[in-house]
Amino acid sequence: MKIIPAIDIIAGRCVRLTQGDYGRVKRYAVDPVVAALQFRESGASCLQVIDLDGAKFGYPKNEKIIRKIFQATGLPITVGGGIRDLKTAKQFLDSGFYRVILSTAVFKKDLVKNLIANYGADRIMVAVDVKEGQVMTRGWRRAVGMGVDQYLKLIKAAGVEQILLTDVARDGTLSGPNFVLASKVIKNNFKVTVAGGITTLAQLRRLNRLGADGAVIGKAAYEGQIDLVSVFKYFSRDNLAKRIIPCLDIKDGLVVKGKRFQELAVIGDAVELAKLYSQNGADELVFLDIAATIEKRKTLITLVQKIAKNINIPFTVGGGINSLADVKKLLAAGVDKVSLGSAAVRNPDLVKQIARRFGSQCLVISLDVKRYRDGWRVFIDSGHKPTGVDAVGFARLMEKNGAGELLVNSLDRDGTKRGFDVELLKIIAETVKIPVIASSGAGSKEDFLQAFMSGKADAVLAASVFHYGQIGIKELKKYLKSKNINVRI
Amino acid sequence: MIVIIDYKSGNVGSLQNAILGLGYDCEISSDPGKIKKANKIIFPGQGRAKSARRELKKSGIDKIIKSTRVPFLGICLGMQLLADFSAEDNVSCLSVIPGNVFKLPAGLKVPQIGWNRVRFSRSSPLLTGINNNEFFYFAHSYYFQASAKYVLATTDYGVEFPAVISRDNFYSVQFHPEKSGLAGLKLLNNFCAL
Repeated sequence: MKIIPAIDIIAGRCVRLTQGDYGRVKRYAVDPVVAALQFRESGASCLQVIDLDGAKFGYPKNEKIIRKIFQATGLPITVGGGIRDLKTAKQFLDSGFYRVILSTAVFKKDLVKNLIANYGADRIMVAVDVKEGQVMTRGWRRAVGMGVDQYLKLIKAAGVEQILLTDVARDGTLSGPNFVLASKVIKNNFKVTVAGGITTLAQLRRLNRLGADGAVIGKAAYEGQIDLVSVFKYFSRDNLAKRIIPCLDIKDGLVVKGKRFQELAVIGDAVELAKLYSQNGADELVFLDIAATIEKRKTLITLVQKIAKNINIPFTVGGGINSLADVKKLLAAGVDKVSLGSAAVRNPDLVKQIARRFGSQCLVISLDVKRYRDGWRVFIDSGHKPTGVDAVGFARLMEKNGAGELLVNSLDRDGTKRGFDVELLKIIAETVKIPVIASSGAGSKEDFLQAFMSGKADAVLAASVFHYGQIGIKELKKYLKSKNINVRI
Repeated sequence: MIVIIDYKSGNVGSLQNAILGLGYDCEISSDPGKIKKANKIIFPGQGRAKSARRELKKSGIDKIIKSTRVPFLGICLGMQLLADFSAEDNVSCLSVIPGNVFKLPAGLKVPQIGWNRVRFSRSSPLLTGINNNEFFYFAHSYYFQASAKYVLATTDYGVEFPAVISRDNFYSVQFHPEKSGLAGLKLLNNFCAL
């Protein structure tokens, strides 16, 4: 169910009416554009904007500010009020407004039919405003002279699918929606967005269970009666999957795995392993060139080209990247993202430059972190050299400088299979607003689950549990799915 | 010949690999003469709107894109550059498909990086044989709020945004088909077969 904040406008200002009565207007100080931006900040994925002057006079009177709202937010907007002819409806739809609401216009011959033929039923919404069982029109001031059933039949014949259902008696009263009415209309096979009187999460959940397509929140949002952020979160339809990323440490073209970054053991051919992981459901791959030197760089480029030819999932390369030129060469060879570690600590400005030149989406910053009594500190040079830099502060700085993702390695946990440093992950994931990749310590399937659930990670990276066949990616994803983690299967 | 436009910022190699792997002839080029003669054009994206826009203008490729009649596929930034205007660097774009480019709302994790579902809103030869709600790989901070009549599919990331749009011979996708496993290859194959 979509949660739709409503912005009703009279004379360029946000208002709420009570029971549709223009004599009982409550004006809010906030500018409609500011209100729209605030809704967007809270997590709104769409808005409904009603021109109440338009509804009263029969043509849009606040069009300029409505367009401003669209320009400023970029959100899909449903617009209504005074849209009574083809030209007005077309103007909104052609300029990018997602949906128009018609009410009085329903009685214009073939208007709704034509609009649906031209724009699709999804973009044409009909307001069904009900007062004591009667359908109202003209800004709710006049009865159509039809009961709800008769009216639904009429609009169904015109091809209408989308309905905005308001119980006028409830609107602006904060007394809860009319569930009986909603249920009845939904059963007539319409996609119903319910408005009027909605105040609590419980009411929203009940509407959701009834099968409502959307719910409009008006007065309750303005008056802080409902916590919009948590409501949007609760009903969010974000489908972004949590990622599983095998990491391949590369030395001279071969995959190796170190325990606590030392004692290297050879595992196998990088290209073959990459292919295998790609076929078995890895969401992306990370290659860390752990012995990066200038002459070996060339070997790496050749290897990268080979890998790029053989897989069609994203892959990241890290190790020894020190300059814009390094990044450019790797991207040209077929790498999707680069990962910077020590170089980002030594030269935080380089992060800025890379982000500006190539975009944040191709830039992963890798933090090697060790736990101290009072927090976590960053290490460089493959975990050999302490810097004293606070890890959380550094994560914040990297986000500010344009990092696209943070790869968080715990030096305490690396290679131990004792599980991730969940506390560290959580504090970083809650500090920054860029994706966090958990790394170091995976030993069991439960560890992965913990990294997602308690550590709030967006992705998990691991090496040895995959390389030695201890955990298969397919079975891991199956397990995570059974625990309600959204994964790509 | 399919030509992949190279505007000097980012990974075009994997796209070429994917197309070659599908059995189609394909060349990476920034030469306006070659792009003009292509029978299909792919316009991939990575990097920033401003620098990409500058490169396109300098080389005159922007004019070729605006007037081309051959099947055209914009990917990621290549999709966004088809808009009227982009809030990334506040640049005017090519105005091939009406609409503007906006930043993903600040309440979300930005960039969106990873695999998200793509929901079809209408059928198209570009999407033939691909399951509705299939996962594709996204990596972006901005999205193209195209006029809904051009939208073929959408994706929900807190905000619902167009994932696939088309107008006449122009197709474009916000995700990276060359990085989206088998479904992505299918989409590229559909495009190559247009």
